Amino acid sequence: MVEIVIDEDACVGCGSCVDDCPNEVYQMNEEKAKTEVIKAEDCMACLSCHEICPSQAMEHQDIHVAKRLYIDRKVSDVLNKII
Amino acid sequence: MEMEEIRGTFKPELIPEETGGDIADYEEALHVLMKFVGSMSSALEQVSGRGANAIVYQAGKRMGHDAGKLMEKTDNLEKAMQELSEILGVEFYFEMWKPSDQEGYTIEKGDETIVKLLFMDCVVRQTLRRTGLPQKGPLCYLLYGYMVGAVEEVMSIKGKLDIDHVGPNACLKTLTIKWGGK
Repeated sequence: MVEIVIDEDACVGCGSCVDDCPNEVYQMNEEKAKTEVIKAEDCMACLSCHEICPSQAMEHQDIHVAKRLYIDRKVSDVLNKII
Repeated sequence: MEMEEIRGTFKPELIPEETGGDIADYEEALHVLMKFVGSMSSALEQVSGRGANAIVYQAGKRMGHDAGKLMEKTDNLEKAMQELSEILGVEFYFEMWKPSDQEGYTIEKGDETIVKLLFMDCVVRQTLRRTGLPQKGPLCYLLYGYMVGAVEEVMSIKGKLDIDHVGPNACLKTLTIKWGGK
């Protein structure tokens, strides 16, 4: 099963992931004003939430990572050396 | 950029012993092709408007029917999906998907059977990302047509595929089989 880790320090509580997820995996914790995972078993790892999250506060573990052949390997190598 | 010229003897042959080029050449060729296909899709949409989807859908459907001819005919949807997965290969890697509260992968509704397909690896998605085009555009209809064409061919039925959700890592689609269309 997919495991989703939310970095609570990074989450700004905008709720974008809650609105974007088609399977209602997330909900807003109104008290903390942070996103929380309520149905990780329904996550299909589309990673729309990653793309929409303004603070990159989430991490999906043990998922099928799609091939990214559109990326230039040379550029990726250079960036990996710098970062 | 320095070009390395390949010089040698060229003989008429059915299967070349050496294709020439390395992984970097293949990568470059793939990216150029992605750019071409992306530009064509974008131009097609500009010229034909909504008709672009129908054109690409028809192209995909024809490819699907051709691919389906290589597959064993079956009435079993799950078997058809398995066969189709083998034909589409690793570049269009998909699996049947269901929400946790649903018992089986298929839902029967009157004379229709519905199944959700999760496309994880997709060359179309990668092309769109390379060229900065949005998903759910004409190019996505290529796969739509391909799936429908192949399923129609294998199962001798009428089918349709709806795009439920698109994401950077996977896309969810619903395949509807109309048994009445047999």
